Amino acid sequence: MSKLGTITRRTFLIGSAAIAGGIAFGVYKVKQTPDNPLSDDLAEGAATFNPWVLIDSEKVTLIVPHADKGQGVASSQAALLAEELDLEWGGFETSFGKPSVAYWNTAMAEEGVPFMSTDESTTAETMRGVMSGAMKLMGLQGTGGSSSMPDSFNKLRQAGATARETLKLAAANKTGVAVTDLNTENGRVVLPDGTTINYTELAADAANLAPVQDVSLREPGEWKLIGKPMPRLDMPGKATGTLSYGIDLEIDNMLHATIKVNPRQGGTINSFDATSAEAMPGVKQVVEITNGVAVIATNTWYAIQAANAIEFDWGDAPYPAEQEDHWKEIESSFTAERLDKEWRNDGDINIAVADNRIFSAEYRSPYVAHQPLEPLNAIVKVTDSEVEVWTGHQMPRLLQQQVAAITGHEAEQVVFHNQYMGGSFGHRLEFEHVKQAAEIANQMRGTPIKMTYSREEDFAHDFPRHIAAARGQGVVKDGQVHGIDLSIASVSPVNSQMGRAGLSVPGPDAQISAGAWNNPYNFEHYRMRAYRTPELAPVSSWRAVGANGAGFFFDSFLDELIHEAGADPMQERIRLMEHDVSRKVLEAVAEMSSWGSESAANTGKGVAFVESFGVPTAAVVEVENTDNGIRITNVWLAADVGTVIDPVNFENLVQGGVVWGLGHAMNCEITYADGKAQQSNYHAHEGMRIYQCPNIEVKGLENGHKVRGIGEPPVPVTAPALANAIYAATGQRIRELPLNKHIDFV
Amino acid sequence: MIELTINGDTHSVDVEPEMPLLWVLRDELGFTGTKYGCGIAQCGACTVHIDGMAVRSCQRPVGDLAGADIKTIEGLGNPETMHAVQAAWTEQQVAQCGYCQSGQVMQAAALLSQYPQPTDEQIDAVMSGNLCRCGTYPRIRAAIHAASAKLQEG
Amino acid sequence: MKTTWLALCMAFTSTPLLAADDSVEINAPAPGSVSEEQGLTAWSRVFEVASHPRCANCHTGESDRPMWSGPSYGKARPHGMNIRAGASRMGVETVACQTCHSTSEHAQDTAHAAPRVGMAWRLAPPEAHWFNRSSVEICEQLRDPATNGDRTVQQLAEHLNHDLILHWAWHPGPGREPAPYSLLEHINDLLAWGAAGTPCPTK
Repeated sequence: MSKLGTITRRTFLIGSAAIAGGIAFGVYKVKQTPDNPLSDDLAEGAATFNPWVLIDSEKVTLIVPHADKGQGVASSQAALLAEELDLEWGGFETSFGKPSVAYWNTAMAEEGVPFMSTDESTTAETMRGVMSGAMKLMGLQGTGGSSSMPDSFNKLRQAGATARETLKLAAANKTGVAVTDLNTENGRVVLPDGTTINYTELAADAANLAPVQDVSLREPGEWKLIGKPMPRLDMPGKATGTLSYGIDLEIDNMLHATIKVNPRQGGTINSFDATSAEAMPGVKQVVEITNGVAVIATNTWYAIQAANAIEFDWGDAPYPAEQEDHWKEIESSFTAERLDKEWRNDGDINIAVADNRIFSAEYRSPYVAHQPLEPLNAIVKVTDSEVEVWTGHQMPRLLQQQVAAITGHEAEQVVFHNQYMGGSFGHRLEFEHVKQAAEIANQMRGTPIKMTYSREEDFAHDFPRHIAAARGQGVVKDGQVHGIDLSIASVSPVNSQMGRAGLSVPGPDAQISAGAWNNPYNFEHYRMRAYRTPELAPVSSWRAVGANGAGFFFDSFLDELIHEAGADPMQERIRLMEHDVSRKVLEAVAEMSSWGSESAANTGKGVAFVESFGVPTAAVVEVENTDNGIRITNVWLAADVGTVIDPVNFENLVQGGVVWGLGHAMNCEITYADGKAQQSNYHAHEGMRIYQCPNIEVKGLENGHKVRGIGEPPVPVTAPALANAIYAATGQRIRELPLNKHIDFV
Repeated sequence: MIELTINGDTHSVDVEPEMPLLWVLRDELGFTGTKYGCGIAQCGACTVHIDGMAVRSCQRPVGDLAGADIKTIEGLGNPETMHAVQAAWTEQQVAQCGYCQSGQVMQAAALLSQYPQPTDEQIDAVMSGNLCRCGTYPRIRAAIHAASAKLQEG
Repeated sequence: MKTTWLALCMAFTSTPLLAADDSVEINAPAPGSVSEEQGLTAWSRVFEVASHPRCANCHTGESDRPMWSGPSYGKARPHGMNIRAGASRMGVETVACQTCHSTSEHAQDTAHAAPRVGMAWRLAPPEAHWFNRSSVEICEQLRDPATNGDRTVQQLAEHLNHDLILHWAWHPGPGREPAPYSLLEHINDLLAWGAAGTPCPTK
């Protein structure tokens, strides 16, 4: 690990309290350009212009360092490069590359600043710059927070343009034609007479040139790829089963393994008896790992069968054993001592409350598991000189450090091969499974070990979405919403997650109330306070993180107040919305859903608006109240991402986000009994099936001037819009997720 | 030794007869297009065809399958020569993470042999055992209709 | 009558599945030796079995949707995944039961996995409607040849003896609560109820 890394590793600059220190030692380092990792083992005759483009005599390779969890970001990154580099779509290879400081995420930390995304004041922008600098100092290569496009949009187009101009210069030197007379298209430099030279033919010459840095980016009107449907590069492989995920790889002489770790998360192992397991077919060895045991076998199934045959005496959970006690801790957190931050205090809520009738309500949001369909797995091979790791992960450089700490190598000796992921939703931000695989492989040096979780183990060790509760008091006046006083209590998801990575996070956690504190409404009186409950069960980032629970609380409560006021749920939201870009997404869904037109019998529509990751998002959900329960019939969703990179992928991701959000709102929660998660597989944590899937109409708006990601923002609006629709159809107000605790779904 | 016929070829495996076909395909024979998702028939990612019927390979003890005609996603088509369902899946840009899609494609192919022009209701009836965590259901519906049209055209 | 019961008893002891279940002996009641009261008591135990989730979940009457209920599932709900057994009662119209419920002699040892036996998984016929039905309703259905498959009580007992899906109810594997009593006790209760003249409760 670099010296700099050592200095900054322990303090991840999320809260405003830590930022001053960041500036002090940051200025010089922040300005340095990291080395290009492609230069390290560059072949003779191959050219690299920056960390993203590699061209040799055979092919063009684009490095797409953001992890592809299914959001198609390998293709999107390639498109940004290819747009400026004038590559034929698909006429190149892509690689996730090797971990490098050069791939630090310029946008990921922006959510950490205590400013609303709509705040573009000098102070706010300066703080964002500081946060970004801190990410650079740490060399934090990461995928998350819907930040891949914000991070990549300018950077990769710039990289593509740099490569293009350098290739043109090489062609000019070769042909004697002036650079200004050269053009590029489909991976070739085009001479004025129409003859062309392939980039691959120019690689050797270009390798000897200093990359041309003074380039200008094309205007949107000139774009050939961006904004247009691009067939995703991974699609044929995924339709034919030929694309390999981490779980599919085979390394020579590899053995298979699975683990059993104390299902009371973080609890120790008192004793175990593996006598019968060791005698089972295919079993090679049983080894101890932290808080558990691994079975190594010739086949994953043999390993799982044997692991199930081991008898364990597990230690207690380091958190309350029963779910009801988790709720008690949350509910007792609305105290001055546990105030994390008063985020908003607009107007004077006390005056509003004194003058008017108070409406109050309480809400709950449960633990929810990630459970992407590819179970967690990792292949690790440890030798004395290096460690190789094959798995899909969102934090490559932190992964190197975590593995190195186990095997006793330097982080740079950990060779990480990132893989396409069978989903993540935040699950593959975690390191435990990789560390476990490293622990096993370290005891089997020289033998590659593929460690695969059983689905049951995956459920037992999911670090779920945090539980949270809210208390709202509100006042209405003259048929309008007059004031809101909302308090939210939860554990800190960021602190829990970063803590496992060895990072401390000073200051308040914006995610406790994300979606509530930062909403761009203009209420006459608005107070929003977040309370922090000390850690209970360990929790993590779950697609859209805090905006799920807090968005549900805030928007549900707003909906209740609007009904109390006797106003129209759509018109009142539009009236209250100060922020222009946000108001337009509301107006868009109003039009898309024909809001205000007469509803069919037994149906109802609900609207919700939640902003997350800088993306104002509004949705209307329509439900039908049938004899067998609620059927979700239609969803209309509009979101403003500034620039839609690919309308087809955009639509797919939004539809998927809607299915994800609605499915979990309907029927998913993790509960603890005896310290263990009670849900062990999809039968008990099901989500949505195709027969429950409504029609989903999507609109991407481009009024905002910053490019934003769309992976997470469609999710938080879905739960409140559904609950609001159920109220409209049935008169039943549900204040707790999952909704099927209170009403049946078809 | 158990003799299996997979995608028309014979394979011999020396495993316990209780081992689910899924793990024989993946860990013994390298047919990794068939995915492990849940192991209890809740997700459908491991769907293959046995004697023409879509089945969950995680539930099939391999010892029962001597003489059976087993087809995996690799036997349905490949990137160069796609089955109509795979071609439709690609054209409709169905996949996100794609991990469930092998199973979805195998189930959809079985659906189309039974109902060449399925209604949305038939699609919902047959495809609901295949879980997609990414939520690509709207595109799965569209792709099945598109594949049906392709097959009708011949 | 006595010889029939003895014959049944012999058949039981030669059935491997039942061999292990030898704690109960069939004491064939002499003709007319079972009072109506005793018959009703026997019936109440038969009802406990019939209404238990391991049995009732697949006796859903006109509905072709199997049910998920009982301790493993919390609130009763239709079988997930939009499963319908169809007119075939085996799902061949949509997703065959055998897509997940394999026909196999290999025991299912994974909790919450699809149950399986050595015969094709299926839903009971519509007339044998037990789910959410009262003791009176199930009793009337079982004693009426028009709704019980035109069977005598002895034939019902024989049916119990060779339908492997029914045997599964007492050996459902990990994660599922077995039906109460045992197959042998259940058959004895059924026969006692028959010997008493198939009395049914009135409420």
